[in-house]
Amino acid sequence: MEQVLSQIPEFLSPANIRFLVQAMGVTIALTFFGCGLGFLLAFFVVFARQTPGHWALPLRAAAILFVETFRRIPFLVTIYLVLFGLAVIVKNASLFAIALIAICIYATAYSADIIRGGFESVPRQQIEAARAMNFGRWRTMIHVIIPQSWPVILPPAMVFMVAFVKDTALVSQLGVFELTFRGKELANQGFSAVLVYSTVALLYFVMSYPLTRFGQWLEKRLATPRSQRPQRKLR
Amino acid sequence: MSYTFQFNIIFAHLPELVHGALLSLLLALAGFWIGAPFALLLAAIRTSGPVWLKRIAGVYVIFVTNTPVLIHIYFLFFGLPELGIRLDKYWTVIAALVMATAAYGCEIMRGGFLSVRRSEMEAAETLGFSRFQTVLYVIVPHIMKTIYPALANYFIVLTLSTSMAMIIGVEELLGTAYNIASDNYRHLEAFIVAAGFYVVITFVASLSLALIGRWAFRVRAKIF
Repeated sequence: MEQVLSQIPEFLSPANIRFLVQAMGVTIALTFFGCGLGFLLAFFVVFARQTPGHWALPLRAAAILFVETFRRIPFLVTIYLVLFGLAVIVKNASLFAIALIAICIYATAYSADIIRGGFESVPRQQIEAARAMNFGRWRTMIHVIIPQSWPVILPPAMVFMVAFVKDTALVSQLGVFELTFRGKELANQGFSAVLVYSTVALLYFVMSYPLTRFGQWLEKRLATPRSQRPQRKLR
Repeated sequence: MSYTFQFNIIFAHLPELVHGALLSLLLALAGFWIGAPFALLLAAIRTSGPVWLKRIAGVYVIFVTNTPVLIHIYFLFFGLPELGIRLDKYWTVIAALVMATAAYGCEIMRGGFLSVRRSEMEAAETLGFSRFQTVLYVIVPHIMKTIYPALANYFIVLTLSTSMAMIIGVEELLGTAYNIASDNYRHLEAFIVAAGFYVVITFVASLSLALIGRWAFRVRAKIF
């Protein structure tokens, strides 16, 4: 214990602090861009899943298979699948790109489920009215469904993204220079593991807690009447 | 694009993978059932405990739910020996999962406790239920009905997070797949097979959890 305490002044050198703050930036960038892109792509997945007609059966099946598969495998497995799967197609892809693609795939699958729940909360009559006015499916989605399901979609999507700040820690297995990886490096340099990992945990907390509070605030603000909430799905 | 899939190399190791999958499930069950009493205790403290204890429980829950489980595992595995406590790799993983279950389970159960209405208890009293009967026939069925879907979901998430055990060298499903792949360089096939195993495990788990919920607690949740 005394050994741990005696390392603190050396550990908190300006170089180490800069090192860790940069790593926090990488973690935030991975979360923000990966989840943002995944959220946008999820709309297309839901759109594909809700395409009517016999000819679209393979499209629907593909969308369902994609969502159900990636929701049921651990994120770590997704990372490895992207790492080795991408190596077949592209040579020498950067590790950051691999991490971003893995996050994007994972976020797409989860957001697609959230978005579908939101879309299903829109009353049927609204969609029928849009059809009666000769709206196409895109126009119905953009002008009728999305504005009404927005308050239902946004809070859980925000909760997912906040939770994902923590899940990016797994990307350190690839060797992307984010917070957990930098922490491991510092521990390998000989700093006490107790010191390094509690600092890293504290830094994750600093990133995650304000976002959690923001998510709760958003949820309270956008609170929907009970009848509009989608039924909870048992996964 | 000239990759030839050779799944038969991986299928030769099927018994080891099944063994790994069972270990994954065992870790998840251990984490869940050891963690559940702690979660119940924390939830009880957070709903009706003395203020100072409430605050400590709150800080614990908020801190654990806002930091990655991987960091907890690293701390327990590499940090604790410096303080003179040694856990082997299996107990490290179980301890990390128990910590997480206590925190997340507490939040779920607290939601259940808050959903019990005073009028229900008064109605039970009017019907001449004893205190024990009220708890057994009114409060527990009500609470279980509200928290069961969330707990079932959490169990699935916990099963998926046991894959992190591979990072410190536990030979559970993902660890086994990784070791097989390191022997014969068939990484992609090994991870596809592991992914298939995870899909099957979680699918069976959610199906049986949904059926148990329907039978025991009359939870009417959509399975798909």
